[in-house]
Amino acid sequence: MDYMATMAISSHGMSLERLRVDVTALNIANMHQVAEPGQAPYRAKAVLVQQRGDVFASHLDRAGGVSPPAVSVVERNVPPLMARDPGHPYADADGFVRRPNVDPVTESINLVTAVRAYEANVRAFNAGRSLALKALDIGGA
Amino acid sequence: MEPLSAISSLIPAPGQALDGTAGHQPERAFDSWLAGQVEQTNTSLVQADAELRSLALGETENLHQVMVALEEARINLELAVQVRNRLVEGYQKLMRMRI
Repeated sequence: MDYMATMAISSHGMSLERLRVDVTALNIANMHQVAEPGQAPYRAKAVLVQQRGDVFASHLDRAGGVSPPAVSVVERNVPPLMARDPGHPYADADGFVRRPNVDPVTESINLVTAVRAYEANVRAFNAGRSLALKALDIGGA
Repeated sequence: MEPLSAISSLIPAPGQALDGTAGHQPERAFDSWLAGQVEQTNTSLVQADAELRSLALGETENLHQVMVALEEARINLELAVQVRNRLVEGYQKLMRMRI
């Protein structure tokens, strides 16, 4: 039924925002990792959402229900931070250690926008739900 | 302004009598439709119950999926209740009819 489509769309949106929060949490958790010599440090990850053809038509495809967007987690293309710390056991010959290039400010903003977008999805979901429940009031006492 | 067109197309041509019997047989009987809807409501209730169980068992990935299932079940149940209300109303009107 069509009001179920509203719910399914909002549900996909909530899943996406949750994934963004998860990925941001992963980035923050690995922020202060130090790579062993010869190994690549953790690289900041990002959520990539791809459009699939005609978005509106595919989202409102009545026959096949609502299809979720194509979501993938990709690594950000940033070089690792080189920090000079000669006393560190993992320091290389020049006294540098390699740390993940995770920007705490970017991650904070990602967190806030993801939480707000999740709330917006909940709002849209509730609006669709109230429409359906209001429609059931038609002709009632 | 465009004038309102006459509704002559809706009026049967003279000589063509209104036929009250033809074409008024519904494609599906009401009771089979009702049974299907009840079945669908039950399915969504059972699914909401299953989602709650998996949440209690810690197998749920997303909390909002449980809430969405619960809301769908609630709307389906509300629809069933409204249909039942109309049915009972009609039945009571028939029973109050003087013979």
